[in-house]
Amino acid sequence: MSLYMLLLYDDPKHWGTLSPEEMQKAVEKYGAWTKKSFTKDSARLAEDVGRVLRRPKGGQARSTDGPYSETKEVLGGYYTIEAANYEEAVKLALEHPHLEYGGTIEVRQVWGT
Amino acid sequence: MSTATETGALIEHLFRHQAGRMVAYFTRLFGPAHIDLAEETVQQAMVRALQTWPYQGVPENPGAWLFRVARNSAIDAIRRDKSLAGDEALAEMTSADSSPSDPLIEEQLRDDELRMIFMCCHTDLSRETSVALSLKTVGGFSVREIARAFLSEDTAVAQRLVRAKRQIREHGMSLDMPTGDELKRRLDSVLEVIYFIFNEGYAAHEGQDLIRQDLCTEALRLGSLVAASSISTPRVHALVALMALQAARLPARVDQAGDLVLLEKQDRNRWDRSLIGLGFYHFDQSMAGDEVTEYHAQAAIAATHARAGDSESIEWPLILEFYDQLFAMNPSPVVALNRAVAVAKVHGPAQALAEIKQLEQEQKLQQYYLLLAVRGHLLLELGRAAEAADNFRAALELPCSEPERRFMRRRLDACEAPLASK
Repeated sequence: MSLYMLLLYDDPKHWGTLSPEEMQKAVEKYGAWTKKSFTKDSARLAEDVGRVLRRPKGGQARSTDGPYSETKEVLGGYYTIEAANYEEAVKLALEHPHLEYGGTIEVRQVWGT
Repeated sequence: MSTATETGALIEHLFRHQAGRMVAYFTRLFGPAHIDLAEETVQQAMVRALQTWPYQGVPENPGAWLFRVARNSAIDAIRRDKSLAGDEALAEMTSADSSPSDPLIEEQLRDDELRMIFMCCHTDLSRETSVALSLKTVGGFSVREIARAFLSEDTAVAQRLVRAKRQIREHGMSLDMPTGDELKRRLDSVLEVIYFIFNEGYAAHEGQDLIRQDLCTEALRLGSLVAASSISTPRVHALVALMALQAARLPARVDQAGDLVLLEKQDRNRWDRSLIGLGFYHFDQSMAGDEVTEYHAQAAIAATHARAGDSESIEWPLILEFYDQLFAMNPSPVVALNRAVAVAKVHGPAQALAEIKQLEQEQKLQQYYLLLAVRGHLLLELGRAAEAADNFRAALELPCSEPERRFMRRRLDACEAPLASK
Protein backbone atom coordinates (compact mmCIF):
# COMPACT_ATOMS: atom_id res chain seq x y z
CA MET A 1 0.00 0.00 0.00
CA SER A 2 1.14 3.50 -0.78
CA LEU A 3 0.06 6.92 0.39
CA TYR A 4 -1.49 9.44 -1.92
CA MET A 5 -2.29 13.06 -1.42
CA LEU A 6 -5.51 14.44 -2.77
CA LEU A 7 -5.28 18.17 -3.21
CA LEU A 8 -8.72 19.73 -3.35
CA TYR A 9 -9.26 22.93 -5.28
CA ASP A 10 -12.52 24.79 -5.38
CA ASP A 11 -14.12 28.13 -6.04
CA PRO A 12 -15.30 29.30 -2.60
CA LYS A 13 -17.91 31.56 -4.21
CA HIS A 14 -19.69 28.51 -5.54
CA TRP A 15 -20.73 27.38 -2.07
CA GLY A 16 -22.61 30.60 -1.49
CA THR A 17 -25.11 29.64 -4.18
CA LEU A 18 -26.34 26.57 -2.30
CA SER A 19 -29.35 26.64 0.01
CA PRO A 20 -28.88 25.59 3.64
CA GLU A 21 -30.54 22.27 2.84
CA GLU A 22 -28.20 21.68 -0.08
CA MET A 23 -25.22 22.66 2.04
CA GLN A 24 -26.22 20.09 4.63
CA LYS A 25 -26.46 17.42 1.93
CA ALA A 26 -22.97 18.37 0.76
CA VAL A 27 -21.55 18.24 4.29
CA GLU A 28 -23.07 14.80 4.76
CA LYS A 29 -21.63 13.49 1.51
CA TYR A 30 -18.17 14.79 2.33
CA GLY A 31 -18.50 13.35 5.82
CA ALA A 32 -19.44 9.91 4.50
CA TRP A 33 -16.42 9.85 2.20
CA THR A 34 -14.02 11.04 4.90
CA LYS A 35 -15.09 8.25 7.21
CA LYS A 36 -13.89 5.55 4.83
CA SER A 37 -11.02 3.57 6.30
CA PHE A 38 -8.55 4.51 3.55
CA THR A 39 -8.47 8.15 4.72
CA LYS A 40 -5.38 8.58 6.86
CA ASP A 41 -5.19 12.30 7.34
CA SER A 42 -6.87 15.48 6.24
CA ALA A 43 -6.43 19.18 6.83
CA ARG A 44 -8.00 22.34 5.66
CA LEU A 45 -5.89 25.29 4.62
CA ALA A 46 -6.71 28.78 5.85
CA GLU A 47 -8.86 30.84 3.51
CA ASP A 48 -6.20 33.46 2.93
CA VAL A 49 -4.48 32.31 -0.25
CA GLY A 50 -1.20 33.51 1.17
CA ARG A 51 1.84 34.84 -0.65
CA VAL A 52 4.33 33.29 -3.00
CA LEU A 53 8.03 33.78 -2.53
CA ARG A 54 10.38 34.05 -5.52
CA ARG A 55 13.87 35.31 -6.24
CA PRO A 56 14.13 36.65 -9.77
CA LYS A 57 17.44 36.03 -11.46
CA GLY A 58 20.01 38.36 -10.00
CA GLY A 59 17.41 40.16 -7.89
CA GLN A 60 16.09 40.23 -4.36
CA ALA A 61 13.74 37.59 -3.01
CA ARG A 62 10.18 38.94 -3.17
CA SER A 63 6.81 37.80 -2.06
CA THR A 64 3.76 38.33 -4.21
CA ASP A 65 0.11 37.62 -3.72
CA GLY A 66 -0.91 34.01 -3.98
CA PRO A 67 -0.69 32.36 -7.34
CA TYR A 68 -4.40 31.89 -7.42
CA SER A 69 -5.52 35.47 -7.37
CA GLU A 70 -6.01 35.34 -11.12
CA THR A 71 -8.00 32.12 -11.11
CA LYS A 72 -11.18 31.30 -9.30
CA GLU A 73 -10.06 28.01 -7.80
CA VAL A 74 -7.98 27.86 -4.66
CA LEU A 75 -6.38 24.95 -2.84
CA GLY A 76 -8.79 24.42 0.02
CA GLY A 77 -7.32 21.41 1.76
CA TYR A 78 -5.90 17.95 1.34
CA TYR A 79 -6.44 14.35 2.27
CA THR A 80 -3.88 11.59 2.60
CA ILE A 81 -5.30 8.26 1.56
CA GLU A 82 -3.94 4.74 1.34
CA ALA A 83 -4.28 2.77 -1.89
CA ALA A 84 -2.62 -0.21 -3.61
CA ASN A 85 -1.54 1.85 -6.60
CA TYR A 86 -2.14 5.11 -8.40
CA GLU A 87 -5.09 3.73 -10.37
CA GLU A 88 -6.85 2.70 -7.20
CA ALA A 89 -6.17 6.07 -5.62
CA VAL A 90 -7.72 7.76 -8.64
CA LYS A 91 -10.69 5.42 -8.46
CA LEU A 92 -11.28 6.31 -4.81
CA ALA A 93 -10.87 10.01 -5.52
CA LEU A 94 -13.37 9.81 -8.37
CA GLU A 95 -16.03 8.93 -5.80
CA HIS A 96 -15.33 12.07 -3.86
CA PRO A 97 -18.30 14.48 -3.71
CA HIS A 98 -15.93 17.38 -4.33
CA LEU A 99 -16.15 16.61 -8.04
CA GLU A 100 -19.93 16.63 -7.93
CA TYR A 101 -19.81 20.12 -6.45
CA GLY A 102 -17.59 21.46 -9.21
CA GLY A 103 -14.25 21.17 -7.46
CA THR A 104 -10.97 19.79 -8.81
CA ILE A 105 -8.83 17.07 -7.21
CA GLU A 106 -5.16 16.55 -7.89
CA VAL A 107 -3.89 13.06 -6.99
CA ARG A 108 -0.19 12.69 -6.11
CA GLN A 109 1.68 9.76 -4.67
CA VAL A 110 3.75 10.47 -1.58
CA TRP A 111 7.30 9.57 -2.62
CA GLY A 112 8.78 6.51 -1.05
CA THR A 113 5.52 5.04 0.22
CA MET B 1 -12.03 13.83 15.70
CA SER B 2 -15.49 13.54 14.31
CA THR B 3 -18.29 12.60 16.61
CA ALA B 4 -21.07 12.56 14.03
CA THR B 5 -22.76 9.28 13.32
CA GLU B 6 -21.10 6.65 11.15
CA THR B 7 -22.92 7.69 8.01
CA GLY B 8 -22.04 11.33 8.33
CA ALA B 9 -25.73 12.22 8.53
CA LEU B 10 -26.79 15.22 10.57
CA ILE B 11 -30.13 15.92 12.20
CA GLU B 12 -32.63 16.26 9.40
CA HIS B 13 -32.99 19.84 8.12
CA LEU B 14 -30.45 21.04 10.72
CA PHE B 15 -28.93 23.66 8.41
CA ARG B 16 -32.29 24.87 7.20
CA HIS B 17 -33.78 25.24 10.67
CA GLN B 18 -30.61 26.65 12.13
CA ALA B 19 -30.51 29.19 9.30
CA GLY B 20 -34.05 30.32 10.08
CA ARG B 21 -33.53 30.88 13.76
CA MET B 22 -30.14 32.53 13.30
CA VAL B 23 -31.51 34.93 10.68
CA ALA B 24 -34.23 35.87 13.16
CA TYR B 25 -31.67 36.38 15.91
CA PHE B 26 -29.38 38.60 13.85
CA THR B 27 -32.29 40.51 12.35
CA ARG B 28 -33.30 41.52 15.86
CA LEU B 29 -29.75 42.63 16.65
CA PHE B 30 -29.15 44.48 13.36
CA GLY B 31 -32.74 45.71 13.03
CA PRO B 32 -35.31 44.57 10.43
CA ALA B 33 -33.93 47.04 7.87
CA HIS B 34 -30.85 44.83 7.70
CA ILE B 35 -32.39 41.42 7.06
CA ASP B 36 -30.04 41.04 4.11
CA LEU B 37 -27.01 41.41 6.32
CA ALA B 38 -28.44 38.91 8.79
CA GLU B 39 -28.98 36.43 5.96
CA GLU B 40 -25.51 37.01 4.63
CA THR B 41 -23.95 36.51 8.05
CA VAL B 42 -25.72 33.17 8.41
CA GLN B 43 -24.89 32.10 4.88
CA GLN B 44 -21.21 32.81 5.45
CA ALA B 45 -21.16 30.69 8.60
CA MET B 46 -22.62 27.80 6.65
CA VAL B 47 -20.12 28.19 3.85
CA ARG B 48 -17.42 28.13 6.49
CA ALA B 49 -18.80 24.84 7.77
CA LEU B 50 -18.69 23.45 4.25
CA GLN B 51 -15.09 24.43 3.88
CA THR B 52 -14.03 23.12 7.26
CA TRP B 53 -16.01 20.04 8.22
CA PRO B 54 -14.94 17.89 5.27
CA TYR B 55 -11.38 18.10 6.60
CA GLN B 56 -11.76 18.52 10.36
CA GLY B 57 -14.85 16.39 10.77
CA VAL B 58 -18.27 17.49 11.96
CA PRO B 59 -18.07 19.20 15.37
CA GLU B 60 -19.80 17.66 18.35
CA ASN B 61 -22.54 20.26 18.37
CA PRO B 62 -22.92 21.45 14.78
CA GLY B 63 -25.70 23.90 15.59
CA ALA B 64 -23.60 25.61 18.27
CA TRP B 65 -20.63 25.75 15.91
CA LEU B 66 -22.66 27.52 13.23
CA PHE B 67 -24.09 29.93 15.76
CA ARG B 68 -20.67 30.77 17.17
CA VAL B 69 -19.11 31.39 13.77
CA ALA B 70 -22.04 33.54 12.64
CA ARG B 71 -21.99 35.50 15.85
CA ASN B 72 -18.28 36.20 15.56
CA SER B 73 -18.67 37.53 12.06
CA ALA B 74 -21.65 39.63 13.19
CA ILE B 75 -19.51 41.12 15.96
CA ASP B 76 -16.85 41.97 13.39
CA ALA B 77 -19.46 43.58 11.15
CA ILE B 78 -20.75 45.74 14.00
CA ARG B 79 -17.25 46.76 15.03
CA ARG B 80 -16.57 47.84 11.46
CA ASP B 81 -19.83 49.76 11.21
CA LYS B 82 -21.13 51.03 14.53
CA SER B 83 -24.37 52.20 12.96
CA LEU B 84 -25.48 48.59 12.53
CA ALA B 85 -26.30 47.96 16.14
CA GLY B 86 -26.06 49.62 19.51
CA ASP B 87 -23.75 48.76 22.37
CA GLU B 88 -26.50 46.71 23.90
CA ALA B 89 -26.62 44.34 20.94
CA LEU B 90 -22.86 44.08 20.91
CA ALA B 91 -22.85 43.33 24.63
CA GLU B 92 -25.47 40.64 24.13
CA MET B 93 -23.39 38.97 21.46
CA THR B 94 -20.06 39.22 23.22
CA SER B 95 -21.45 38.03 26.55
CA ALA B 96 -19.78 34.90 27.86
CA ASP B 97 -20.10 31.63 26.06
CA SER B 98 -23.55 31.99 24.59
CA SER B 99 -24.19 28.95 22.48
CA PRO B 100 -27.56 27.57 21.40
CA SER B 101 -27.15 24.69 23.84
CA ASP B 102 -27.40 27.24 26.62
CA PRO B 103 -31.10 27.12 27.68
CA LEU B 104 -31.30 30.91 27.81
CA ILE B 105 -30.00 31.31 24.29
CA GLU B 106 -32.28 28.50 23.15
CA GLU B 107 -35.22 30.43 24.56
CA GLN B 108 -34.00 33.65 22.99
CA LEU B 109 -33.70 31.99 19.57
CA ARG B 110 -37.24 30.60 19.82
CA ASP B 111 -38.52 33.99 20.83
CA ASP B 112 -36.70 35.66 17.93
CA GLU B 113 -38.11 33.14 15.50
CA LEU B 114 -41.60 33.80 16.76
CA ARG B 115 -41.17 37.57 16.40
CA MET B 116 -39.86 37.03 12.91
CA ILE B 117 -42.92 34.99 11.87
CA PHE B 118 -45.16 37.71 13.22
CA MET B 119 -43.31 40.36 11.26
CA CYS B 120 -43.34 38.26 8.08
CA CYS B 121 -47.10 37.91 8.41
CA HIS B 122 -47.69 41.63 8.91
CA THR B 123 -51.16 42.50 7.65
CA ASP B 124 -49.70 45.17 5.33
CA LEU B 125 -47.99 42.43 3.33
CA SER B 126 -49.85 40.31 0.78
CA ARG B 127 -50.43 36.63 1.46
CA GLU B 128 -47.97 35.50 -1.21
CA THR B 129 -45.37 37.88 0.16
CA SER B 130 -45.84 36.64 3.72
CA VAL B 131 -45.55 33.04 2.56
CA ALA B 132 -42.34 33.65 0.60
CA LEU B 133 -40.83 35.81 3.31
CA SER B 134 -41.65 33.33 6.08
CA LEU B 135 -40.15 30.43 4.17
CA LYS B 136 -37.06 32.41 3.26
CA THR B 137 -36.24 34.00 6.59
CA VAL B 138 -37.76 31.71 9.24
CA GLY B 139 -37.86 28.52 7.21
CA GLY B 140 -34.34 28.72 5.78
CA PHE B 141 -35.58 27.90 2.27
CA SER B 142 -33.68 29.36 -0.67
CA VAL B 143 -35.28 31.38 -3.44
CA ARG B 144 -34.90 28.42 -5.78
CA GLU B 145 -36.55 26.06 -3.29
CA ILE B 146 -39.48 28.39 -2.75
CA ALA B 147 -39.90 28.78 -6.50
CA ARG B 148 -39.82 25.01 -6.97
CA ALA B 149 -42.28 24.42 -4.15
CA PHE B 150 -44.78 26.86 -5.61
CA LEU B 151 -44.07 25.97 -9.22
CA SER B 152 -43.06 29.53 -9.92
CA GLU B 153 -40.04 31.32 -11.38
CA ASP B 154 -36.89 32.07 -9.37
CA THR B 155 -36.92 35.67 -10.53
CA ALA B 156 -40.54 36.17 -9.50
CA VAL B 157 -39.82 34.90 -5.98
CA ALA B 158 -36.62 36.94 -5.75
CA GLN B 159 -38.43 40.12 -6.80
CA ARG B 160 -41.21 39.46 -4.33
CA LEU B 161 -38.64 39.17 -1.54
CA VAL B 162 -36.86 42.35 -2.59
CA ARG B 163 -40.16 44.23 -2.55
CA ALA B 164 -41.04 42.71 0.82
CA LYS B 165 -37.79 43.84 2.37
CA ARG B 166 -38.32 47.31 0.95
CA GLN B 167 -41.79 47.37 2.51
CA ILE B 168 -40.32 46.32 5.84
CA ARG B 169 -37.86 49.22 5.67
CA GLU B 170 -40.33 51.80 4.39
CA HIS B 171 -43.11 50.88 6.80
CA GLY B 172 -40.59 50.66 9.61
CA MET B 173 -41.89 47.22 10.57
CA SER B 174 -40.43 45.99 13.80
CA LEU B 175 -39.89 42.71 15.55
CA ASP B 176 -41.86 43.91 18.56
CA MET B 177 -44.77 41.63 19.25
CA PRO B 178 -48.06 43.41 18.61
CA THR B 179 -50.58 43.71 21.43
CA GLY B 180 -54.34 43.80 21.85
CA ASP B 181 -56.45 43.70 18.69
CA GLU B 182 -53.41 43.95 16.47
CA LEU B 183 -52.01 40.81 18.08
CA LYS B 184 -55.26 39.00 17.36
CA ARG B 185 -55.28 40.14 13.72
CA ARG B 186 -51.64 39.25 13.28
CA LEU B 187 -52.08 35.84 14.88
CA ASP B 188 -54.91 35.12 12.44
CA SER B 189 -52.64 36.11 9.59
CA VAL B 190 -49.83 33.92 10.92
CA LEU B 191 -52.15 30.92 11.14
CA GLU B 192 -53.51 31.52 7.65
CA VAL B 193 -50.00 31.69 6.24
CA ILE B 194 -48.99 28.49 8.04
CA TYR B 195 -52.10 26.68 6.86
CA PHE B 196 -51.55 27.90 3.32
CA ILE B 197 -47.99 26.53 3.37
CA PHE B 198 -49.26 23.22 4.75
CA ASN B 199 -51.94 22.86 2.10
CA GLU B 200 -49.51 23.58 -0.70
CA GLY B 201 -47.34 20.78 0.60
CA TYR B 202 -50.24 18.46 1.28
CA ALA B 203 -51.52 18.88 -2.26
CA ALA B 204 -48.16 17.69 -3.60
CA HIS B 205 -48.30 14.40 -5.40
CA GLU B 206 -46.06 11.41 -5.62
CA GLY B 207 -43.42 11.99 -8.22
CA GLN B 208 -43.48 15.70 -7.62
CA ASP B 209 -40.55 17.46 -6.11
CA LEU B 210 -39.95 16.38 -2.53
CA ILE B 211 -39.48 20.02 -1.66
CA ARG B 212 -43.24 20.38 -1.71
CA GLN B 213 -43.62 17.78 1.00
CA ASP B 214 -41.06 19.70 3.03
CA LEU B 215 -43.67 22.44 3.17
CA CYS B 216 -45.87 20.24 5.41
CA THR B 217 -42.97 19.66 7.77
CA GLU B 218 -42.16 23.33 7.89
CA ALA B 219 -45.79 24.38 8.46
CA LEU B 220 -46.04 21.88 11.29
CA ARG B 221 -42.81 23.19 12.81
CA LEU B 222 -43.96 26.81 12.62
CA GLY B 223 -47.37 25.90 14.02
CA SER B 224 -45.80 24.03 16.92
CA LEU B 225 -43.55 27.00 17.61
CA VAL B 226 -46.55 29.33 17.89
CA ALA B 227 -48.52 26.75 19.88
CA ALA B 228 -45.70 26.43 22.42
CA SER B 229 -45.46 30.18 22.95
CA SER B 230 -47.19 32.29 25.56
CA ILE B 231 -49.50 33.89 22.97
CA SER B 232 -50.97 30.58 21.87
CA THR B 233 -54.75 30.23 21.84
CA PRO B 234 -57.00 27.19 21.37
CA ARG B 235 -57.26 27.90 17.65
CA VAL B 236 -53.49 27.58 17.29
CA HIS B 237 -53.70 24.12 18.84
CA ALA B 238 -56.61 23.27 16.55
CA LEU B 239 -54.52 24.16 13.51
CA VAL B 240 -51.53 22.14 14.69
CA ALA B 241 -53.83 19.19 15.49
CA LEU B 242 -55.36 19.37 12.04
CA MET B 243 -51.98 19.52 10.30
CA ALA B 244 -50.45 16.73 12.39
CA LEU B 245 -53.42 14.39 11.90
CA GLN B 246 -53.50 15.01 8.16
CA ALA B 247 -49.73 14.74 7.77
CA ALA B 248 -49.86 11.42 9.64
CA ARG B 249 -51.78 9.95 6.72
CA LEU B 250 -49.32 11.08 4.05
CA PRO B 251 -47.31 7.82 3.98
CA ALA B 252 -50.47 5.79 3.32
CA ARG B 253 -51.91 8.09 0.69
CA VAL B 254 -50.34 6.18 -2.17
CA ASP B 255 -49.64 2.46 -2.46
CA GLN B 256 -46.43 0.72 -3.51
CA ALA B 257 -47.23 1.35 -7.16
CA GLY B 258 -47.65 5.06 -6.50
CA ASP B 259 -51.42 4.89 -6.92
CA LEU B 260 -53.81 6.94 -4.83
CA VAL B 261 -55.55 5.15 -2.00
CA LEU B 262 -58.87 6.43 -0.70
CA LEU B 263 -58.86 7.40 2.95
CA GLU B 264 -61.16 4.50 3.87
CA LYS B 265 -58.98 1.96 2.16
CA GLN B 266 -55.67 3.20 3.50
CA ASP B 267 -53.48 0.81 5.43
CA ARG B 268 -53.75 2.37 8.87
CA ASN B 269 -50.50 0.71 9.92
CA ARG B 270 -48.73 3.10 7.60
CA TRP B 271 -50.06 6.16 9.38
CA ASP B 272 -47.42 7.99 11.34
CA ARG B 273 -48.13 7.13 14.99
CA SER B 274 -46.04 9.92 16.47
CA LEU B 275 -47.84 12.54 14.38
CA ILE B 276 -51.19 11.10 15.42
CA GLY B 277 -50.07 11.36 19.04
CA LEU B 278 -49.00 14.95 18.47
CA GLY B 279 -52.30 15.67 16.73
CA PHE B 280 -54.40 14.33 19.59
CA TYR B 281 -52.30 16.20 22.14
CA HIS B 282 -53.00 19.49 20.38
CA PHE B 283 -56.60 18.52 19.74
CA ASP B 284 -57.10 18.19 23.49
CA GLN B 285 -55.43 21.55 24.02
CA SER B 286 -57.71 23.12 21.43
CA MET B 287 -60.75 22.29 23.56
CA ALA B 288 -59.85 24.83 26.23
CA GLY B 289 -62.28 27.72 26.09
CA ASP B 290 -65.44 28.16 24.03
CA GLU B 291 -63.85 29.18 20.80
CA VAL B 292 -64.81 27.02 17.82
CA THR B 293 -63.05 27.83 14.58
CA GLU B 294 -62.80 26.27 11.15
CA TYR B 295 -59.55 24.73 12.30
CA HIS B 296 -61.46 23.08 15.15
CA ALA B 297 -64.05 21.59 12.82
CA GLN B 298 -61.41 20.31 10.42
CA ALA B 299 -59.29 18.94 13.24
CA ALA B 300 -62.37 17.18 14.63
CA ILE B 301 -62.99 15.54 11.24
CA ALA B 302 -59.38 14.41 10.99
CA ALA B 303 -59.45 13.18 14.60
CA THR B 304 -62.60 11.14 13.98
CA HIS B 305 -60.91 9.44 11.04
CA ALA B 306 -57.76 8.84 13.07
CA ARG B 307 -59.72 7.40 15.97
CA ALA B 308 -61.41 4.71 13.88
CA GLY B 309 -59.55 1.41 14.12
CA ASP B 310 -60.63 0.37 10.66
CA SER B 311 -62.74 1.72 7.83
CA GLU B 312 -65.87 -0.04 9.17
CA SER B 313 -65.80 1.87 12.42
CA ILE B 314 -65.54 5.40 11.04
CA GLU B 315 -68.22 7.46 12.75
CA TRP B 316 -69.73 9.08 9.67
CA PRO B 317 -72.68 10.74 11.44
CA LEU B 318 -70.19 12.55 13.68
CA ILE B 319 -68.09 13.54 10.69
CA LEU B 320 -71.18 14.89 8.95
CA GLU B 321 -71.97 16.95 12.03
CA PHE B 322 -68.50 18.50 11.94
CA TYR B 323 -68.89 19.20 8.23
CA ASP B 324 -72.18 20.97 8.99
CA GLN B 325 -70.32 23.13 11.52
CA LEU B 326 -67.53 23.77 9.08
CA PHE B 327 -69.95 24.68 6.31
CA ALA B 328 -71.76 27.09 8.64
CA MET B 329 -68.47 28.89 9.21
CA ASN B 330 -67.16 28.59 5.68
CA PRO B 331 -69.89 27.95 3.11
CA SER B 332 -67.47 27.31 0.25
CA PRO B 333 -68.21 24.94 -2.62
CA VAL B 334 -65.13 22.86 -1.81
CA VAL B 335 -66.35 22.31 1.76
CA ALA B 336 -69.80 21.45 0.37
CA LEU B 337 -68.28 18.89 -1.96
CA ASN B 338 -66.35 17.22 0.84
CA ARG B 339 -69.46 17.30 3.00
CA ALA B 340 -71.36 15.47 0.26
CA VAL B 341 -69.10 12.47 0.72
CA ALA B 342 -70.14 12.29 4.37
CA VAL B 343 -73.80 12.79 3.37
CA ALA B 344 -73.53 9.77 1.09
CA LYS B 345 -72.20 7.65 3.95
CA VAL B 346 -74.94 8.71 6.35
CA HIS B 347 -77.99 9.30 4.16
CA GLY B 348 -77.07 7.40 1.02
CA PRO B 349 -75.71 8.36 -2.40
CA ALA B 350 -79.04 9.63 -3.75
CA GLN B 351 -79.26 12.46 -1.23
CA ALA B 352 -75.60 13.31 -1.70
CA LEU B 353 -76.17 13.50 -5.43
CA ALA B 354 -79.09 15.86 -4.92
CA GLU B 355 -76.95 18.15 -2.75
CA ILE B 356 -74.11 18.16 -5.24
CA LYS B 357 -76.51 19.26 -7.95
CA GLN B 358 -76.53 22.76 -6.48
CA LEU B 359 -72.76 22.90 -6.82
CA GLU B 360 -72.69 22.30 -10.53
CA GLN B 361 -73.21 25.96 -11.33
CA GLU B 362 -70.35 27.06 -9.07
CA GLN B 363 -67.75 28.87 -11.10
CA LYS B 364 -65.05 27.76 -8.68
CA LEU B 365 -65.72 24.08 -9.35
CA GLN B 366 -65.98 24.26 -13.13
CA GLN B 367 -62.42 23.14 -13.69
CA TYR B 368 -62.28 20.98 -10.58
CA TYR B 369 -62.04 17.30 -11.48
CA LEU B 370 -63.11 16.23 -7.98
CA LEU B 371 -66.69 17.39 -8.49
CA LEU B 372 -67.02 15.04 -11.45
CA ALA B 373 -65.10 12.29 -9.69
CA VAL B 374 -67.35 12.44 -6.64
CA ARG B 375 -70.47 12.50 -8.82
CA GLY B 376 -69.18 9.54 -10.79
CA HIS B 377 -68.56 7.69 -7.56
CA LEU B 378 -72.08 8.36 -6.26
CA LEU B 379 -73.71 7.38 -9.57
CA LEU B 380 -71.76 4.15 -9.61
CA GLU B 381 -72.96 3.37 -6.10
CA LEU B 382 -76.51 3.88 -7.34
CA GLY B 383 -75.82 1.42 -10.12
CA ARG B 384 -76.01 4.10 -12.85
CA ALA B 385 -72.78 2.91 -14.43
CA ALA B 386 -73.17 4.59 -17.82
CA GLU B 387 -73.71 8.04 -16.31
CA ALA B 388 -70.89 7.42 -13.85
CA ALA B 389 -68.58 6.59 -16.73
CA ASP B 390 -69.47 9.88 -18.45
CA ASN B 391 -68.45 11.76 -15.34
CA PHE B 392 -65.12 9.98 -14.98
CA ARG B 393 -64.42 10.56 -18.66
CA ALA B 394 -65.17 14.27 -18.27
CA ALA B 395 -63.03 14.43 -15.12
CA LEU B 396 -60.12 12.94 -17.05
CA GLU B 397 -60.28 15.94 -19.37
CA LEU B 398 -59.55 18.32 -16.51
CA PRO B 399 -56.19 19.14 -15.00
CA CYS B 400 -55.10 16.65 -12.34
CA SER B 401 -52.03 14.71 -11.33
CA GLU B 402 -50.86 11.47 -12.88
CA PRO B 403 -51.82 9.30 -9.86
CA GLU B 404 -55.25 10.96 -9.84
CA ARG B 405 -55.60 10.24 -13.54
CA ARG B 406 -54.71 6.58 -13.01
CA PHE B 407 -57.18 6.42 -10.13
CA MET B 408 -60.01 7.72 -12.29
CA ARG B 409 -59.12 5.38 -15.12
CA ARG B 410 -59.51 2.49 -12.68
CA ARG B 411 -62.89 3.87 -11.64
CA LEU B 412 -63.83 4.17 -15.27
CA ASP B 413 -62.88 0.53 -15.81
CA ALA B 414 -65.07 -0.37 -12.86
CA CYS B 415 -68.03 1.37 -14.54
CA GLU B 416 -67.49 -0.59 -17.69
CA ALA B 417 -67.11 -3.97 -15.97
CA PRO B 418 -70.53 -5.64 -15.63
CA LEU B 419 -69.92 -6.83 -12.06
CA ALA B 420 -68.36 -3.58 -11.02
CA SER B 421 -67.49 -3.42 -7.38
CA LYS B 422 -66.46 -0.26 -5.66
